[in-house]
Amino acid sequence: MKKRDFFEWVRFIDFSLIAITALLVAYGNLTVYSATCSSQTDPFFYLRKQVIFTLLGILVAAGIVLLNYNWFRHYMIPFYIGNAVLLLLVLFVGFTTYGATRWISIGFFNLQPSELAKIVLILTLAALLADRKGNIDKLSKLFIIFAYVGLPLFLIIAQPDLGTALVLVAIMLGMLLVSGLKWQHALLIFGVVILAIFLIFQFNLLREYQMNRLVVFINPNVDPTGAGYNLLQSKIAIGSGGLFGTGLFSGTQTGLKFLPVRHADFVFSVVGEELGFLGSSFLLGLYFLLITRSLAIGASAGNLYGTLVAVGVSSMWLFQVLVNIGMTMGIMPITGIPLPFFSYGGSSMLINFAGVGLLLNIYARRFK
Amino acid sequence: MVRLDDSTQKRLAIAGAVVTIVFSVLLGRLWTLQIIAGEKYTKMAESNRVRTISLSTSRGVIYDRNGEVLVDNRPSLVVAVTPSEVENEDVSFRLGKLLDMTSDEIKEKLEDKAVDPLKSRKVKYDIDENIAVYIKEHSADFSGVEIKVESVRNYSAPTTAAHVLGYLGEISGDELEHNKDSGYELGDLIGKSGIEKQYEEILRGIKGFQQLEVDASGKVVRILDENESVAGNNLQLTIDSSLQQATEKSLEEAIKVAQRDGHEDANAGAALVMDPNTGEILAMASYPTFDPSLFIGGFSSKQWADLNDKSSGFPLINRTMMCSYAPGSVFKPVTYLAGLMEGVVSYRSTFDCEGKWTGMGESWPRYCWNRAGHGRMNLSSGMSNSCNIVFYEIGYKLYKAGGEKLQKWAHEFNLGLRTGVDLPSETKGRVPDKAWKKKFNEEHPDYQAWVPGDTVNLAMGQGDLLTSQLQIANIYSAIANGGTVWKPHLGKKVLTAEGEEIHEFNREKVLDIPVPEDIIEKLQRDLRRVVVDGTAKRAFEGFSLEVAGKTGTSQVKGKDDFAWFACYAPLDNPRYVVVVLIEQGGHGGSVAAPAARRILAAAYDISSTGSLSVPDKSR
Repeated sequence: MKKRDFFEWVRFIDFSLIAITALLVAYGNLTVYSATCSSQTDPFFYLRKQVIFTLLGILVAAGIVLLNYNWFRHYMIPFYIGNAVLLLLVLFVGFTTYGATRWISIGFFNLQPSELAKIVLILTLAALLADRKGNIDKLSKLFIIFAYVGLPLFLIIAQPDLGTALVLVAIMLGMLLVSGLKWQHALLIFGVVILAIFLIFQFNLLREYQMNRLVVFINPNVDPTGAGYNLLQSKIAIGSGGLFGTGLFSGTQTGLKFLPVRHADFVFSVVGEELGFLGSSFLLGLYFLLITRSLAIGASAGNLYGTLVAVGVSSMWLFQVLVNIGMTMGIMPITGIPLPFFSYGGSSMLINFAGVGLLLNIYARRFK
Repeated sequence: MVRLDDSTQKRLAIAGAVVTIVFSVLLGRLWTLQIIAGEKYTKMAESNRVRTISLSTSRGVIYDRNGEVLVDNRPSLVVAVTPSEVENEDVSFRLGKLLDMTSDEIKEKLEDKAVDPLKSRKVKYDIDENIAVYIKEHSADFSGVEIKVESVRNYSAPTTAAHVLGYLGEISGDELEHNKDSGYELGDLIGKSGIEKQYEEILRGIKGFQQLEVDASGKVVRILDENESVAGNNLQLTIDSSLQQATEKSLEEAIKVAQRDGHEDANAGAALVMDPNTGEILAMASYPTFDPSLFIGGFSSKQWADLNDKSSGFPLINRTMMCSYAPGSVFKPVTYLAGLMEGVVSYRSTFDCEGKWTGMGESWPRYCWNRAGHGRMNLSSGMSNSCNIVFYEIGYKLYKAGGEKLQKWAHEFNLGLRTGVDLPSETKGRVPDKAWKKKFNEEHPDYQAWVPGDTVNLAMGQGDLLTSQLQIANIYSAIANGGTVWKPHLGKKVLTAEGEEIHEFNREKVLDIPVPEDIIEKLQRDLRRVVVDGTAKRAFEGFSLEVAGKTGTSQVKGKDDFAWFACYAPLDNPRYVVVVLIEQGGHGGSVAAPAARRILAAAYDISSTGSLSVPDKSR
């Protein structure tokens, strides 16, 4: 390869995004290991699987980079329908854990179609909004968008997986806002959301555990051994970390299992306890860089479709980081939203890498 | 290359601002939790992880002076219930049937506010082993119920020295507050009365602890720290348990005899035996009595109310030192000494007793108990016959001499102050004087003035004078030993759990009464005459031991007379001071003195115990 060619090639690769992702995912794997290594039977059980998920994720990202992201735009409808079918399948053949039916087994892997729905929705909405050149000034056009969001949203709520449903709404809002949503319509959406919340409470549509989580969020001290237990333990773990933390593998709240679901939903609390304010704020910094870098890629994209895809991915990550970390610190209600690249779990890892793949793809093709 | 339009660029910049705000909020919250509140959460994390379990200790054994066990410990099978773990109402119903308790009784125990709501509450002690086995075998039907083995007090003889020993009970909120730094916890037993309370610190021992690291499921991961329990020290008392039993028996008999003889309100009394040379209390009995073992496991509120109801006669009260009484004629030796020492009378003084005394004027007549009159009396015969005229006269002369001389002499014997006996809740008694009367009748100006009759009453041991039985024992002890008031005490030795002596309670002098030896000797002689040919003659007829003492029959408004007898023996080398009081028992010479004789007979193993009651009309 000639020297000039090499520099040509290098210009297509966003090394900063790769570096941020690499740091995040390494940090995440280490934390998952620290959270689960006290297991008597197999200290490497979770780490091994998470590493495999990571490697698979890298493959997914690499695969996506090789395709032209604009290609997805043409296959939007099949993707959308395929995902809807999967979501429907979950309701019939999915298997249930913790009272929610979220997974379908595809042999070697338990797929969580609601995770896939996030990326599919991003691609779908980006195509829809870009086709209309960001022109969503009429309510009738907005309703078409709502309809597209509504179907997967409904199917996911039915699982029930309120957390992921909320992520879909966040993705939609982020993309709509950047597409130039009129403030009157923004107000209308806000009104609808308020009405929806009102109706949910009016007709008692929340399940008991969901209601309890809300009560605990509003008054954390109401039931410290029951519904408030997870939140209290999470705050104890984070708070006790102080400035420097107890050190990796030395957190007592993590190691003695006081901290619930510490490898998944509450993985941030492990960072808080073991690596303190320094480690936690470093992690927040990584997420900040990840998301702002994604928005920057969106701003540099070659077309509006690319911009909107980048905005969709950024919205997804921002919302998940805010709700997950906010939840562990008691400023967000408890929902089962995973922390990107950190929380243990295959589907979400692959989807996050898919997001990285899309972003790298948009960056690489920004000149066209 | 297609450039984005300006408005999209602008909106992306707004999105960037939103991202910045979100992260600022998260970072701010992180700072609050970790840096500002970090210490609080560190403590909470520690309390999550570290469980401190206290290890039980065994309470010290209490012995009598001869090394006989009065109370030690035994294991007891206890049913304990943790209310938060009880799954349904049936459990208490089943438990009630099994333990023969009503559901209300069980409910009361379970709702006990004094116990930590998350801890188990002891529902019943000393359950049958079969019941314990049954509950264990049917544990599924008894959620929240456990069988524990607790160490409880074991009394050698159920009611012997009950008032001396006292009883234990679960520590109350107030007691916990008072002993904050002493390592007590809710549910701990603490001495509530008597020696158990007085010497709590000696007896209780030090509870050990184990600091355990536990995981979230409460499983112990490792022991962080451990401190073994230290057993409580043993305590030897000055009580002689066989004399104590004899004293209790004699007291009860005397009360029964008083009832039989027509004093049907006689239902309470007290008796004391003290060593006049040291202040050691050899026997201390109060009637009615109680069984301290009933306190094991605590009382239901009804049982407690019964014990404190008037009809019960208040058995928990130790009448030897918690109550004060008008001493009546047993106080006369003080008047006798006051008269001599202040020079208002002498041994040559004579008194004419015609049964009636008008020393304070015809309109204020006083009478002798012997309405026929004793004839010509002197100090000595006045004492032996308990002639009231003689003491009215002395009292009146002391009044006229001014300066509250009689009160001064009461104070010389430490009356009006606590004796300092090592038991809680001692009464001070009361020596009335001008200042006291004025203050006492603050609301009734007509009654504030101290009148001659007040001093005359005081001379008789009546009026507003109040003394505890123990204070009377102090007076006779000082007379017997030649003038020293020793502090009455029950503690003799402190021993370690292994029996090694670590402390001895020495006798403690309270004061010497400023009376020359020859005057005390004359008083001793006159008190001997009371027994030889005076008011206690009949009670001690044919008794081989030389006893000196004084009868007393004190009058209490609205009640039958209180019978007193205070004495010491043997005359030459006194070893025992005995004081007997029968509330509403009639005359001292007729029931109290015979009881004292029986107590002395037991002390010396004398078979001639005399009659249970003899005639006596003196006051």
